[in-house]
Amino acid sequence: MSRAVQRPGGAAPKRTEITDDGGEFHSYFDSPELRNVHKTDKTSDICPVCKSSRYLNPQMKFLVNPECYHKMCESCVDRIFSSGPAPCPIAGCRRTLRKAKFRAQTFEDVFVEREVDIRRRVAKVFNRCEEDFETLLDYNDYLNDVEDITYNLINGIDVEASEKKLQGYAEANRQLIDDNENRARKAATTYAARQAQVKEQSRLRREANMREEERERQERLEGQRNIINQLASRDGDAEQIVREGQIGLKRRHKTAIPDRRKPSASATKAEDGKLLYRGLKKKTEVEPERPFSPYAGLRIANEYSVVQDHYDAPWLSFAWQDERYLAGGFKIGDFYSRVFSEAFAGLSVFVDEEVAGRNLTGSFSATEGAVAAADQDVNMSDDIF
Amino acid sequence: MGVSTNSPVHPKSASTEIQAAKAKALTVIRATETSASSPISKPSSPGEDGGERDLAEELNAQTRARYKKGKLLGEGTYANVFLGHDTTSPNTLVAIKKTKKLDSFKDGMSIDTIREIRFLQELKHPNIINLMAVFSSKDQNVNMVIELLPRGDLKTIYYRGADAKGPEVSYTGADIKAWMAMLMRAVWFCHEHFVMHRDIKGDNLLIAADGSLKLADFGLARSFADPGTRMTPEMVTSFYRPPELFLGATHYSAAVDIWSCGIVLGELVKRDYWVPGHTDLEIFTRITEVFGSPSEANWPGVTKLPNAPLINPSDDSAPRPPGMPTEQWNREFGQLGPIGIDLLRSMTSLDPRKRPTAKQILAHDWFRTAPAPTKTELLPQAGGGGGPVKMAEDLKRKPGEAPSDGRADKVARKIDFGSMKK
Repeated sequence: MSRAVQRPGGAAPKRTEITDDGGEFHSYFDSPELRNVHKTDKTSDICPVCKSSRYLNPQMKFLVNPECYHKMCESCVDRIFSSGPAPCPIAGCRRTLRKAKFRAQTFEDVFVEREVDIRRRVAKVFNRCEEDFETLLDYNDYLNDVEDITYNLINGIDVEASEKKLQGYAEANRQLIDDNENRARKAATTYAARQAQVKEQSRLRREANMREEERERQERLEGQRNIINQLASRDGDAEQIVREGQIGLKRRHKTAIPDRRKPSASATKAEDGKLLYRGLKKKTEVEPERPFSPYAGLRIANEYSVVQDHYDAPWLSFAWQDERYLAGGFKIGDFYSRVFSEAFAGLSVFVDEEVAGRNLTGSFSATEGAVAAADQDVNMSDDIF
Repeated sequence: MGVSTNSPVHPKSASTEIQAAKAKALTVIRATETSASSPISKPSSPGEDGGERDLAEELNAQTRARYKKGKLLGEGTYANVFLGHDTTSPNTLVAIKKTKKLDSFKDGMSIDTIREIRFLQELKHPNIINLMAVFSSKDQNVNMVIELLPRGDLKTIYYRGADAKGPEVSYTGADIKAWMAMLMRAVWFCHEHFVMHRDIKGDNLLIAADGSLKLADFGLARSFADPGTRMTPEMVTSFYRPPELFLGATHYSAAVDIWSCGIVLGELVKRDYWVPGHTDLEIFTRITEVFGSPSEANWPGVTKLPNAPLINPSDDSAPRPPGMPTEQWNREFGQLGPIGIDLLRSMTSLDPRKRPTAKQILAHDWFRTAPAPTKTELLPQAGGGGGPVKMAEDLKRKPGEAPSDGRADKVARKIDFGSMKK
C-alpha cells in the first residue's frame, strides 16, 4: 500500500511544500534532490549508496523499491535489507523499505516507472472489459471514472479519497475481479498457443513448398537429360523428339500438381493432429443424439385404479361372447378402463386452486377456461370423457 | 342462444314481410332466418327486447371481438375458412373455420361440428390440431378458431395427384419414420383418452410451421362405445376404411384407426393410393387382393358380421385371392426394411384383434432401428404447396369424403344437392 494512504490531509496539491519527513508524496517526487539523483544516474553508473561503479564491477545491477524509487546496487540491497526492513539509506529519505519489494527498473525515468506501477495497480482492480457493458457509452463512463482515479493517484490529487474508492471497489467486487483476471489469463494463454501453432504451420508449409520446388527442379533437369539422351540414342526427327520430351515434361508437371497440394493441406494440421483454421467462430457444443422417445415426454397413467382383464358381470357377457362383437374388434377391456377412468376422473382436481387461479386471470371467458382445463389434462392421469 | 323458428315476429322481420308479397317462397326462408338470428344479430343493444345479454352471450361477444377475420382462404359447401388474427397479440395468425348453417341439419348445426368442437376442446397434444376458441357469429354460424398450419398436409408431400402435377418432394425412410411417430403419438393420445378419430388419412394430417404433423378433422370422431351401443360402420373415408367396417361391424374398437394409419404408412412408401376404387365393393375387392380374403381361419367370427355375404362364406367356388405374396411386400415396401414391413403387415391385419395398439406401435423396434427418425425441423416440406390455402381446403372438406380425383366423382360431385335445398 502506498504511503499516501496513511497520510492525512493530502487533499490539495502541494507542489512546493517540502516537509521534514519527506513531505507529501507528490511533492517529494518533485524535489530537486531526486531530480538530481535522476540526472546523475543517467550519466554515470555509480551506486549512490556504496559509490562503487560499473567500471569496477561490470555485473553491477541497480534495483529500485516502489516506496521511494531510490536506486541502489544489488549488493547494497543485500547488505542493508537482508536482516529485515530498514530505512532507505539515501539522505533525506526515511521510508522503511523491504527487500522483497526491490526490483529491476524497467524505465529509465523513475516518474514513468511510478506511473506505470500505479496504472498497473489500478488496472488490476478495474479489470472489466467492453463486453461487460450494454452500451459503448456505459463503458466509456466507466473508463472515465477509472482514469480519474488513476490520474489523481499519479498526480497526488485527492489521494486519500481516490485510494478509498479503489479499495472500496476492490472489496466489493473481489469475486468479479478474480473472474475477470482468470478470463484474461485464459485468453492470453490460448492466444499465445494459437500464435505458436500458426507459426508452426507456416513453417511446415514453407518447408513443404521448398521440398516441392526442389523436387520439381530435379524433375525438370531429369527431363532435359532424357531429351538429350534420346537425341543421342534415337534416330529420327530431332524436333519431334524435343517436342515429345517437352509434352512429357508438362504432363509430369501436371500430375505433380495434386501432390503439391498435399503437403500444404497437411501443413494446416498441427503436431497433435488437431486441425486449425484462423477466423473460425466459436462453436456451441452439439447436443448428443437422444434416443427415440415414444410419447415425446408425455405420460398418461391411471393412478387410481387397476383394471383387471375380466370382471364377473353377467349383464355384459354378450360383449365377450357375441361373435359380432369379437369379430368387429370390440374390446371389453377398453370399456373397463374407460369406466374406471370416468369413475375416478375428478380425484386430482382441486377446485379451491382453480378458483384462486381464476381470480388471478382478469377477464375469464368460458372458452378460455375450457381450454385451460383441457391443457391441465395433458399431465393428468385420467381424462374427462 | 336458443334457436327457435317460431319466435314472436321481430320489428326487423316486419320489414321483410313487405317483400313477402312479391316473392313469397323466398321470404319464408328469410323470415325464419332473421327471426332465428335476431338475438345474436343485435347483441350490443341491451333492452331492446327488454333484457340484458346473458353471460353466455357476453362471453361469446368477447371471444368474437378477440379474433378478427381476414381474407377468405377457401369456400366449401360445408364450411368457409378465413385467415384471422388474435387482436390481443396481432402476430398470432389463426384460421377461422366458419361452418355454414344448413337447413339440411335438424338444428342448423351438423353433428360433425359438434363432434369436432367436443373432442378438439378436450384433446390438447402437440400432434393434434389446436382449437383455440369457438364463437357464434350472426346467422348462428359456428366459428372455430384453429391454429394456422401454413405448410399444407401430408398428402401433398407424398401424392402428386392423378395427373402428377403437384410439387415433387423427395423424402427418405427416416422422414417416413418421423411422420409415423408423430401420427402414432396423436392416435395414441386419442385412444388413451377413449376417442377414436375414424377419419385418419393424408389430407387430415396437417403440417405446422415447424414441420410437425397435426392430426385434424375430428368430424367423425367419437368416444369408445359402451357394450350394447351400436356404432355406425359407414365411417372413415373409403380408401382408408378397415375391412370390418366394410363388413358392417357395429361394435368395433380403436383398431379401425390403426388400419387407416397402416394405409397412410403404405401410401407414404408407394406415393400413391394403396387401395383405391370408385365404389365400396371395388375397394373391398382390392383389399382382399392385397391383404388376403377374410375367412373363419384368419378371422374367427367374420361370417357372423352383417355384411358377411359380401365374402360369400358358403360359396366355395367364389374367388378367394390370397393377398400379396411376401416377395411382393418386400419389393414394394423395401424402403421400410424387414422390421418396417413386419409392422406394416401387422397394422393392416384383416382381423382387428390382431392389429397392434398405438402404444404397441410406438414401442415397436422399427422406430429404434437405423435410420433414426428425422428431426422435426429437418423434415422435407412441399415447396410452394398451397400454404394456408391448402389448409383451408382440408378444413372445409366434409369429413369422410373420398378423394376427389377419381373419374366418377368428376361428374357426380359437381352436382351439389345439399346447396340446392336452400
